[in-house]
Amino acid sequence: MNMHVTPQHTPAEKALIEGYHARVGDLPGDGMVTIKRDEAIEAIKAGLPTRHVEAWHYTDLRRLLTTVPAAATAGNTSALEPLLAGSTVLHVSGGKTQAFPSAQGLSFMRLSDELVEGRGLAALGPTDAADTIGAINTAFVSDGYGVEIAEGVELSAPLELQNLHNGGQVHTRFGVNVGAGAKAVIVERQTGEASALASAITTLSVRDGAEVMYLIVQEQPKGSSHLGQFRATIGKDAKLTVFIMNAGGKLVRQEIIVDAAGEGCDFQLRGVNLLSGDSHTDVTMVLDHSVPNTGSREVIRNVLTDRAKGVFQGRINVHQIAQKTDAKMACNTLLLSDDADFSAKPELEIFADDVACGHGATVTDINEDHLFYLMARGVPEKAGRGLLVKAFLAEVIEELENEAVIEALEAKLDAWFVLHG
Amino acid sequence: MPAVQETIDQVRLIDVDQYKYGFETSIEMDKAPKGLNEDIIRFISAKKDEPQWMLDWRLDAFERWKTQEEPDWARVDYPKIDFQDIYYYAAPKSTPGPTSLAEVDPELLRTYEKLGIPLREQEILAGVKKPGHEESEDGVLADSESQSANGGRRVAVDAVFDSVSVVTTFKKELAKAGVIFCSISEAIREYPDLVKKYLGSVVPQSDNYYATLNSAVFTDGSFVFVPKGVRCPMELSTYFRINEKNTGQFERTLIIAEEGAYVSYLEGCTAPQRDENQLHAAVVELVALDDAEIKYSTVQNWYPGDSQGKGGIYNFVTKRGDCRGDRSKISWTQVETGSAITWKYPSCILRGDDSRGEFYSIAVSNGYQQIDSGTKMLHLGKNTSSRIISKGIAAGFSQNTYRGQVSAHRKATNARNFTQCDSLLIGDQCGAHTVPYIEAKNATTQFEHEATTSKISDDQKFYVMQRGIPEEEAIALIVNGFVKDVIQELPMEFAVEAQKLIGISLEGSVG
Amino acid sequence: MLEIKNLHARIADEGTEIIRGLNLTVKAGEVAAIMGPNGSGKSTLSYILAGREDYEVTEGEILFNGESILEMDPAERAASGIFLAFQYPMEIPGVATMEFLKVAMNAQRKARGEEPLKIPELLKRVKEASGALNIDMAMLKRPLNVGFSGGEKKRAEILQMQLLEPKLCVLDETDSGLDIDALKIVSDGVNALRSPDRAVVVITHYQRLLEHIVPDSVHVLYKGRIIKSGDKSLAMNLEENGYAGIIGEAA
Ligand SMILES: Nc1ncnc2c1ncn2[C@@H]1O[C@H](COP(=O)(O)OP(=O)(O)O)[C@@H](O)[C@H]1O
Ligand SMILES: [Mg+2]
Repeated sequence: MNMHVTPQHTPAEKALIEGYHARVGDLPGDGMVTIKRDEAIEAIKAGLPTRHVEAWHYTDLRRLLTTVPAAATAGNTSALEPLLAGSTVLHVSGGKTQAFPSAQGLSFMRLSDELVEGRGLAALGPTDAADTIGAINTAFVSDGYGVEIAEGVELSAPLELQNLHNGGQVHTRFGVNVGAGAKAVIVERQTGEASALASAITTLSVRDGAEVMYLIVQEQPKGSSHLGQFRATIGKDAKLTVFIMNAGGKLVRQEIIVDAAGEGCDFQLRGVNLLSGDSHTDVTMVLDHSVPNTGSREVIRNVLTDRAKGVFQGRINVHQIAQKTDAKMACNTLLLSDDADFSAKPELEIFADDVACGHGATVTDINEDHLFYLMARGVPEKAGRGLLVKAFLAEVIEELENEAVIEALEAKLDAWFVLHG
Repeated sequence: MPAVQETIDQVRLIDVDQYKYGFETSIEMDKAPKGLNEDIIRFISAKKDEPQWMLDWRLDAFERWKTQEEPDWARVDYPKIDFQDIYYYAAPKSTPGPTSLAEVDPELLRTYEKLGIPLREQEILAGVKKPGHEESEDGVLADSESQSANGGRRVAVDAVFDSVSVVTTFKKELAKAGVIFCSISEAIREYPDLVKKYLGSVVPQSDNYYATLNSAVFTDGSFVFVPKGVRCPMELSTYFRINEKNTGQFERTLIIAEEGAYVSYLEGCTAPQRDENQLHAAVVELVALDDAEIKYSTVQNWYPGDSQGKGGIYNFVTKRGDCRGDRSKISWTQVETGSAITWKYPSCILRGDDSRGEFYSIAVSNGYQQIDSGTKMLHLGKNTSSRIISKGIAAGFSQNTYRGQVSAHRKATNARNFTQCDSLLIGDQCGAHTVPYIEAKNATTQFEHEATTSKISDDQKFYVMQRGIPEEEAIALIVNGFVKDVIQELPMEFAVEAQKLIGISLEGSVG
Repeated sequence: MLEIKNLHARIADEGTEIIRGLNLTVKAGEVAAIMGPNGSGKSTLSYILAGREDYEVTEGEILFNGESILEMDPAERAASGIFLAFQYPMEIPGVATMEFLKVAMNAQRKARGEEPLKIPELLKRVKEASGALNIDMAMLKRPLNVGFSGGEKKRAEILQMQLLEPKLCVLDETDSGLDIDALKIVSDGVNALRSPDRAVVVITHYQRLLEHIVPDSVHVLYKGRIIKSGDKSLAMNLEENGYAGIIGEAA
């Protein structure tokens, strides 16, 4: 990708660059950390990606990111009721890590301390020219958590990371290490009380034989820009299930980058995107099957109303040695409004021959036969449509096979339908 | 289908390095000097007796081309092309513009015979050179018609040899029906109004790098005009061959079907075996008015390079159909087995209400071939529909990419698309890739896309072999089953041919 | 005709031994039944006879008409006269059944140095055999086994067997999934092929099929070995008393 030097910066680019120079002295870390931050801002100076950068084909960030709020976020937010009852809650408020809870088998680090100590440098910095989220986050990251789940530990309570704010800019990072054979349910909440620019990067390592269910619930307030990146590697015979729900924000890009790196591992992705208003929401997944005998399945369901725009890009890379890969991806969309639009780019890049890979994508209306059936049973049309749309989404949630999780997510669905149905 | 056995026989006969059509014809050539500049363009235009407007159009394209950049988004990798190291014009000397077969250099006709491609046009052309049948065009045709009495339909042929169209058959009979079928050079002279009206109206003069180059230097190609209400009485066909060393072939084809007209057009290609890479950059434009239908079939068998990846044709083609009228239909069917590099996306603009676009494709890559091919279906009118069936087969060290775009615009209510995109891998040194772009801007859109990638199942192979069918034949049988949905869309003559070509192309990939 | 001596075979990928010292002789003209509980290795034995690559023979010998077949690939074994009617016939999309029959018959003829069949002759043979098996010609236009019902698949297997005229017919649970009428049709088809120069190995779970195809010998396969052989009364005994007694005896 030949990134041209962009001579004229957009107001957003300007705000980022100028904001960086004003703030860099106050951001945690110096020495190498600052060098990394400087490099990252150089990447932004070259211009935010346009649709000509293939990875951003449907999200022309340069055009879409119109406002960058002032950095400061006003006052503290209090922790939310966790999605799953009894969860251990980790709270970040306005980009500042709050207290450490105590829980068995878990240990925590404060990211700002790490940066001050100059640790964890390797994770900083954009991974490539198209990694704009990595660049913005590296430049501005202020805090976050490092979480270690010890080998063999089966967490009795879910762990919930709450990334909250009161507007302004929040740039955070979470690193989660799940030890070999450990088991955990982890929830990540991205929300706040006023419109903000958020960049949030999570890196998750699922060690051999571990089993993780990771839920990302993004409900940023109206007008917010949310740039999320989730990176995971999965070890031998380990299992990772990721669920993502997008139900907020004005400009949302959520990247999911997964390396199925251990033989016998399994990756599952389920996504529900509830898109309304004039939001723009982009879920981009890049999944590598880099060793033999791994499996994956991804199902993304989208419902759009109003003038919402939705994007799903999903690329499955099957490496040459990754024989016996079994990978299937599906993206299904219901457009409920004539002014909504959706684009999908499901890709397969396959270099091994003994594989069973596939993807499907549909954009449809609800099934008229089903609607007719409901109406024939006396359900009024509007209610019938509502039922079918909800069923379309609930189907993916129900595949999660965890009662508490299903219940909590379906409650979220219901809440959204009350507002937008 | 008798082709399977024949395919196997062919496979046995031919070594992977022995590209069957890779011989060179020794005919005196009339060549312009190497390189590209205004003078060359003026030379080409003058050679063709073109009117000033055509020359101006070319020069304008050339100006634009100089400001464009070679696209780099496709998954193909090749050394930079030196556009000054190519001959842009080469014509068989003795045939500056033949009007009848009798004028054609016998050596050239022998070329066709040597090709031995059982494409139907070869049958006809080979028939031409038989002693005693050379007196008149009509006599020859009568004879070849009776020869093919074994059920084949008649095919009118325009043969393009390097840069010029050498011969167009069946002209008179077509004229009776009101159909114009001639070389584009002739059309520019004889039907300037039609050409002016439609040329560049589907693929704009400077649409993309290769298309712009083509606009500047195209040397020949076919022109078809089917007037209102006419069903073209026979298949039309063009046969392309690159012969001269270092020549580029830049043909330009324009097909217009007026209201209610129908035409089926076939295109076949070969090139001799050479060490250097040769460039082919064609533009094809189709226009279908209200209720018209155009069916365009291609069997592309340019020289793919040798087993080490040396030589072969660079095939950068822009093909686009415009369903301009209501209820019009354009259908592309392609069997791509040749070329070192293929960059090709035959597309449909579904502008008319209730119009329909189809794309059926088989892309076979072996050796070091690289294919990046697919289609675009742009739904603009109301109640438009499209269908895409793509079958990719990658073997050897090849890379085979399907790239497609389906989009429904805001006003395109009830747009429908169905896409099925399957890839088969033979061996673990090749790659198969699928890159679809699906864009819906309308709530009434119904898009369904499905893609799969796998290898030939061991279970199937074992079962077939258990019936006594040897391995290579078993694979050819299973592959032919895999591509069946596309083969079915080809005219009969091409279908048999295509199956053979697929078998030949996969030769050496097993084991 | 068929002699299996101390055969040991394992799954090529992972090494699990499935056939563990199996001995079996089937003479020309003989119908031998192989019975045994699920998972005892019956299908594996049939695959090994047909030359499937998933299995590796580690010891022992398989002689067909006195010659070892272990080095032959599946097509060569088929051409030499070994036919396997699959327990689960494979679907071959896009290849019409008729086309498949033609290719298979001519491939075998070619291997024997015979001319390919002329179309009319081929059609005649296919029609005759199909008629007897109650197979509709319309079915032959469909891709092989694709969307065929269980019964249709089994009948298509027997049709292929009749047309290819093998010397050794191995039928793997051809009775499973057949209703009583279809069972009769299929058995008649097999019986029609019985001849002094042909051997048949019938693999089955149930006595039921053996009422229609009466065997000359019955062998019980258990854990990869023949643990008991006898005549058709052995099958009846098994029907009444199950495998437990015999397994106990052998253990
Ligand atoms: N390719 C294979 N991979 C793994 N296990 C196999 C394979 N083939 C056979 N087996 C195992 O070998 C045993 C015998 O199987 P099979 O021959 O199908 O038994 P039967 O036909 O007698 O029911 C079973 O335990 C089966 O699971
Ligand atoms: Mg069995």
